[in-house]
Amino acid sequence: MSKTVTAVLEQQASRKRQKSSRREPQLAWYVFLMPTLLGILLFMVYPLIESLRLSFVKGASEQFVGFGNYANVLQSETFWYAMYNTLYMTIFQLIIAIPAGFVIACLINNLVRGGGFLKVLFYIPNVTSMVAAATVFLAILHPDGPLNYVVQLLGFEKIVWLSQPYSAKWGVIILAAWHWLGFVIIINLANLQAISNDYYEAASIDGASRFQQWWYITVPNMVGSLTILFIIGWIGGLQRFTDAYMLGGLQGSPARSLHTVVGFVFERGFGGHEYGLASAATYILFLFILLLTYFNTLVTKMKI
Amino acid sequence: MRSNRKARKISDVLLFLFLFAVGIIMLYPFLWMISVSLERTANVSIPFPPRLIPEEFSWFNYKLVFENGALLTAYGNSLVIALFSVLLSVSSALLGGYAFSRGSFKGKRLLFFAVLATMMIPFEARLIPMFTMFNELDMINTKYPLIFPSVINAMGIVLAKQYFDNLPEGLRESAKIDGAGEFKIFFHIFAPLTGPITATLGILSFQDSWNSFLWPLVVINDQHLKTVPLFLSSFSTENGGRLAGVTMATAGMSILPILLVFLFFQKYIIRSIALSGLKGE
Repeated sequence: MSKTVTAVLEQQASRKRQKSSRREPQLAWYVFLMPTLLGILLFMVYPLIESLRLSFVKGASEQFVGFGNYANVLQSETFWYAMYNTLYMTIFQLIIAIPAGFVIACLINNLVRGGGFLKVLFYIPNVTSMVAAATVFLAILHPDGPLNYVVQLLGFEKIVWLSQPYSAKWGVIILAAWHWLGFVIIINLANLQAISNDYYEAASIDGASRFQQWWYITVPNMVGSLTILFIIGWIGGLQRFTDAYMLGGLQGSPARSLHTVVGFVFERGFGGHEYGLASAATYILFLFILLLTYFNTLVTKMKI
Repeated sequence: MRSNRKARKISDVLLFLFLFAVGIIMLYPFLWMISVSLERTANVSIPFPPRLIPEEFSWFNYKLVFENGALLTAYGNSLVIALFSVLLSVSSALLGGYAFSRGSFKGKRLLFFAVLATMMIPFEARLIPMFTMFNELDMINTKYPLIFPSVINAMGIVLAKQYFDNLPEGLRESAKIDGAGEFKIFFHIFAPLTGPITATLGILSFQDSWNSFLWPLVVINDQHLKTVPLFLSSFSTENGGRLAGVTMATAGMSILPILLVFLFFQKYIIRSIALSGLKGE
């Protein structure tokens, strides 16, 4: 008798507990997410909406100008030159860093021992701040710096790197490719290790040489992840600011050759207090990046 | 067979030596930086031809940097900012990651999608209103704008969620039967198990905070509030090619903390970067 009573009580209690535990936690989970959700509202949603609003107004009186700011940005030669510079520096940074990083990663992947050590070695530039790296490069690119020493050793004339638009851009490209290379290597290594060993074993039984294995197995298997790296690189490259700013200042000297899109936003927004125009420029940049992100998800889904 | 294995071993050593040489070339800018910073006469002119062993070795440039003290002030600012940023971003990532891993609540999928979406929004798209907002709050030239926004840590939430997903479900069930609430379960059972993921998240957000440049450049112009990259940037652009010795010493000192953190925790960092495949700049 008493046994059944306690059993029933127990059952009731546990049902109650289940019920309450099913209702009460719902709220609890939102509390867990509170910091993130508050942050997103304050530092994401609000700024995005406010930026959109600002892109349609002009001046301190915030007079509505429709698409006037967008038209101004798209008609500005300075903007297009900044866009050209940004794309130019980015494409060469990627064309240098991705293949070089891929080949180095393949070689490291072939090692039986010492790979971990080399990974750390190659990644060091990427952990340092771009500001520190660029500071060192300002001295390396100096007319009497080490780079010119190499140039002269090879029998060429001294180059005053940061005084000519063309060579100044290449200064930034060298700096950016060097700084990014370690990242490319790490990502490639992770993807190389994901290729099944069975392919290589089967190929070597069939008598394929190591180069043939690399060309017919490794390369086709890596096309997808290389494409993703390329897109990530584009997205990062469009947002470039620090490297060009450090070598060329706010104006992107010499002759605006290092002026970037973000530099344009910075100069017009914080230098000229043209919040409307600068916001329109950021939205144009944002659209470019969204498009690239969309391609990125397409490629990721295709899993080539 | 044996000679084959021997040949393999030799080619392996040769390959390692070759890659090591390439790695040294990669690190040459930093090695050269150290050598210039230790060169007594480097402030007059950049040592030419370049050399890795200083001709006139001295700590003179470092002494100048420390006696000036501005770098130490910047160090203090950067450390305080990084400490609070790490605290904020790691705790919000752990709490959020746990909720998305173990929670069942309305709108879970939608909210997770919203968190992921924040990764696609470039900082520049929010730059101007972020400035005007903190300006209206009278927080320009304070440390707050450099700390508060770190509360959004989407990549951290994804990494933390993966980590919690891999912990056994039984942990939660037994605690629930004992009648523990969700907070108690999290803080008493799960939180003590989060050592490795906390380390990873902490290092990544320390690196972000320590190296960030554009946002500090916008919100700080007070000399005494400059972070390390801000100080280094103005110092090196003001002096250009002159004072190479002091500039290189300052650059070296600015790299040191992040380099030490990296060398100590390189396994966590490299693994998480490979895992995420993404990293903000």
